[in-house]
Amino acid sequence: MGDGVKDGTLLGTGAAQATPHARLARGGPSLWRLARQKPLGAVGAALVLLMVAMALFADILATQDPVHTNAAETLSQPSRQHWLGTDYLGRDIYSRIVHGARISLVVGVASTLLGAVVGGMAGLLSGYVGGATDLLTQRVMDIMQGLPLLVLALVMSAALGPSLANVIIAISVPIVPRAARVIRSSVLAIRETPYVEAARALGVCHARVALRHILPNTMGPFLVLTTAQLGSAILVEAALSFLGLGVPEPYPSWGRMLSVSAAEYAQKAPWLVLFPGAAISLAVFGTNLLGDALRDVLDPRLRQA
Amino acid sequence: MSMQRGGSRSGGFSAFGGRLAILLTLIIAFGGTGWAASTPKYGGVLTATESDTPPSLSIHEEATIATVWPMMPCYNNLVLFDPFKKQENVGTVIGELAERWEWRDGGKALLFHLRRGVKWHDGQPFSSTDVKFTFDVVREAPGAPAKLRVSPRKLWYENVASIETPDAETVIFHLKRPQPSLILMLAAGYSPVYPAHVPPAELRTKCLGTGPFKLKEYRQGEYIDLVKNPDYFIKGRPYLDGIRYVIIRERGTRYAGIQAGRQDVAYPLEIAKTIAESVKKAVPGMVLVETSTNLNDNLLLNFRRPIFEDARIRRAINLAIDRKGYVQAGRQGAAVLGGVMLPKPYGVWGLSEKELGKLPGMGDPAKNKEEARQLLAQAGYGPGKPLKLSVSTRASSFYVDLASFIIDQLKQVGIEATLEQVETGIWHAKLTRRDYEMAVNNTGLGPDDPDANLYENFKCGSPRNYSDYCNPEVDRLIDEQSQTPDFAKRLRLVHDLDTRLQLEGARIILGWAKEYYLMWPYVKNLIPHQSVYNYGRMQEVWLDR
Amino acid sequence: MRTYVLTRVAIAVLTLLGMSVVIFVLLRIAPGDVVDMIFASAGYVDPAAKTEIQRELGLDRPITVQYARWLGEILRGDLGKSYRYDIPAWQVVRPRIPITVELAILAMLVASLIGIPAGVVSAVRQDRWMDYVMRILSLAGLSMPSFWLGMVIILLLVWGLGWIPALTYVSPFQDLKAHLLQFLFPALAVGSRSSALIMRITRSSLLEVMREDYIRTAYAKGQRERVVVWRHALKNAFLPVLTVLGIEFAFLIGGLVVTETVFNLPGVARFLVEAILWRDYPVVQNLVMFIAVVVILANFAVDVLYGWLDPRVRYG
Repeated sequence: MGDGVKDGTLLGTGAAQATPHARLARGGPSLWRLARQKPLGAVGAALVLLMVAMALFADILATQDPVHTNAAETLSQPSRQHWLGTDYLGRDIYSRIVHGARISLVVGVASTLLGAVVGGMAGLLSGYVGGATDLLTQRVMDIMQGLPLLVLALVMSAALGPSLANVIIAISVPIVPRAARVIRSSVLAIRETPYVEAARALGVCHARVALRHILPNTMGPFLVLTTAQLGSAILVEAALSFLGLGVPEPYPSWGRMLSVSAAEYAQKAPWLVLFPGAAISLAVFGTNLLGDALRDVLDPRLRQA
Repeated sequence: MSMQRGGSRSGGFSAFGGRLAILLTLIIAFGGTGWAASTPKYGGVLTATESDTPPSLSIHEEATIATVWPMMPCYNNLVLFDPFKKQENVGTVIGELAERWEWRDGGKALLFHLRRGVKWHDGQPFSSTDVKFTFDVVREAPGAPAKLRVSPRKLWYENVASIETPDAETVIFHLKRPQPSLILMLAAGYSPVYPAHVPPAELRTKCLGTGPFKLKEYRQGEYIDLVKNPDYFIKGRPYLDGIRYVIIRERGTRYAGIQAGRQDVAYPLEIAKTIAESVKKAVPGMVLVETSTNLNDNLLLNFRRPIFEDARIRRAINLAIDRKGYVQAGRQGAAVLGGVMLPKPYGVWGLSEKELGKLPGMGDPAKNKEEARQLLAQAGYGPGKPLKLSVSTRASSFYVDLASFIIDQLKQVGIEATLEQVETGIWHAKLTRRDYEMAVNNTGLGPDDPDANLYENFKCGSPRNYSDYCNPEVDRLIDEQSQTPDFAKRLRLVHDLDTRLQLEGARIILGWAKEYYLMWPYVKNLIPHQSVYNYGRMQEVWLDR
Repeated sequence: MRTYVLTRVAIAVLTLLGMSVVIFVLLRIAPGDVVDMIFASAGYVDPAAKTEIQRELGLDRPITVQYARWLGEILRGDLGKSYRYDIPAWQVVRPRIPITVELAILAMLVASLIGIPAGVVSAVRQDRWMDYVMRILSLAGLSMPSFWLGMVIILLLVWGLGWIPALTYVSPFQDLKAHLLQFLFPALAVGSRSSALIMRITRSSLLEVMREDYIRTAYAKGQRERVVVWRHALKNAFLPVLTVLGIEFAFLIGGLVVTETVFNLPGVARFLVEAILWRDYPVVQNLVMFIAVVVILANFAVDVLYGWLDPRVRYG
């Protein structure tokens, strides 16, 4: 039994939706129709867009300097001046959440992309070349997958030291094997399709077949995978920050904002716990909704059907 | 110094006077809320809280309350701070293994008359050999019979020339010069007497003392169980049948445990004011004792870095940090301002309000920051050319938050500081290497005593003088105050030193943490002191339920 | 079948060997070692004493020698001595294993009990309001940070009831009710995330299976929906669910770290993190290898079950 079967089912199964292929083919204007047919996906897209907008325009959207402390206004309630209240150092929570989007997004996107690209290349190589290369790559992936994610991230960030780049690397590592498996299984499927066989029969060189004919066809699962992983990358960043191994201050990170405050100030200043927790949950919720919708639309097997 | 009253509580308790004194202390300690105190009851197991698995069980090899708190009941000192007195000072030292003590030889020898008939938990008799063994090992005397893995308080006994044992019931500490503080250091929870017949390395995983409780079971990461020592040398003590220290790493869970009644008493540290107030609100009967901890939050400047040779820069940093802001933002109001010695009303040696007011960072923050900017400008830094520094701290929330506050304060005078987070476990190794520029740290002190503090933290070449501040004149003054027997005169010397150290930025003291000790009202006779390290003996504690 | 098993074993050994190198090297790249931790509480590190302890523990030897020694010890079944506790590593770890295993199994049970029925309902009522509610709920479950969830549960309990589960481990033989209560809430906290995942997979694989010919035939033969779904479709849809259960197991360890900390359960996962922070090499290395073996075995078990549930799968 090959791993491909498992991963195919894991990821590639989608709801039986009507002719996604036709919808996609029409391109731009169909977006609106897509939104109507996939309202949850649209909500997800809106949430993700909101997060991207917050990250991009944080400097404009924030009402205050997110690192500015104010001893006179610690733990003050949400008010006109501080929309979401202030924390124990008197920092404006709204502004910190807006700036925190930047960290969550940068860490989430960068680590997912890094992991997915490295893993994707390994999967492509493994699936297309096969044989000993496949065996070796798969074993390396086994090793990476066998280590518990949080433990791996913990050791990595201890080994590398906490910095933005290192946190990204640490989070990306566990994504690699997953991406590799998914891409490998779809490469395996595509490799046997008539047009690939035809291309090879015509004498097209391997690299060209792999990059021109196979790779584009794995984009569906790849996209689905990256959106699915984006959410968990954001969560891992939060967990690492919670454990004190995440992105260091003064960058405001949502996970950091939650870490002590949940226990210490929950009763006196619930807004401290509520808003960053909601921010994390909504962002991950958004990427998950979007990922679901994308999977339904882009599922490769549905396209073949 | 004259001879001290050395008797312990044992005899005094049955006498009317002793009982009256205890009742009075209780009234003061509990402010009337605990007025159920009648005749102490025997029995019951106290469930206490422990923050983490202690690095080891050997008090002499550790410098953390995580070891002292659960192990103190297992041992005895020569002398101890009276568990009933909130404020520790030379007058509250009572005898434990020593029945009486006297200064001789013009203050250059301290003689202890030991109790007779004391037995170790394994039945072996206790004698003066054990005392000599313990303190020779701790001070790493030449030819000491054993060696500790590390002896964090070696410096406390630097002035001890030799320890003499004329007979089994007498011990004499011979000093190089008079040092009245020695008795205070011996009275700290950090100074138990170890058995000479057990290799100290074994005491890392078990405990064998003379104390009121014996170790029953130690489950790493779970709990430490102590059980009453039926042969304890003070008849009628302890009251409790046992103590269980439940190890709870997560702070939120620790609070929840107290509030839900899973634990009877809190851990002596790390209770934030906000949480203590919330718990008190949820359980109105809960006893909440506001006290100090003898712990200060501080900012270290690495004197080995050329940039800090410039006194203007040190002063600018010192001025930039608004101390009242620190109290509010850094500690949620749960701190008091002070210099290098624990401030009043908790401490004995702290600066007066007037003296404190003159220190940098104390007055009007706007004015201070303006002066800081001018100093920086004189040193060649300004808006076009900001001073760039790095601040290191431990990667745990409290320190990171405090560092964020400091960085923002510095930013307001135009210093651009970046934060470096260091894993807690390797933090002190880094400080020892002096591998930092500025560091946000906190320092816990055993007894509230100038010698215990100044030698360790400010003397040239001391390993724990992390900033490597070194001033021969200051060293001379430290020695001078140490051998001054007259309290008022010594106080003046200490105040001068304190002011001087603060003005020079030897270790920029931000303030002193206050603590909010929580316990259920049925717990009697557990009285937090001004230092967290010295009140954990538990022999007088009883449960009224 | 026998060659299949042999190949699997050979591959597993190779994987474990690779993993041992990775964890060994990573740990040694991490700054500081146990000697620094030993001195951490003392507040300073005495260089002479440091060298001495390093020599005692063999940390001064070249890394290759250390690695070879470790492998030799494993082969002899010697799990080494915990640097931190100064007692055999196995002695510290052994009582913790059943706690984590129980928690993991309970969490999986909770996850399946919630996730599978929810997934079926959602699939059967596809694109109706029930489906949407279930999907949104499951996504919400996936979106909440697990460290946060555990903490919120504790806080809600203590505020709402003034009660929390026991904070020291209660053995089931001592007090079964207290034991179960102690495990119920952490199992809920960990299981909620997995249940969301299982619900999603159940839904999608069920939808897929229901489009297959034999299901249509069953419908055509006039069988009732309930029978078709529960008897025919779910059995086949269960395969991917099983896979997820297998994969989730490895994940679970990560989720357990925080949950065990918050509920103060003396389990392996939390202990592993503490050992990492203490640079307790023998404990970390051997525990990671242990977990890897469990994960490999879990995956193997899933594959065997696969063949058992789906005769189409053959081992070659």
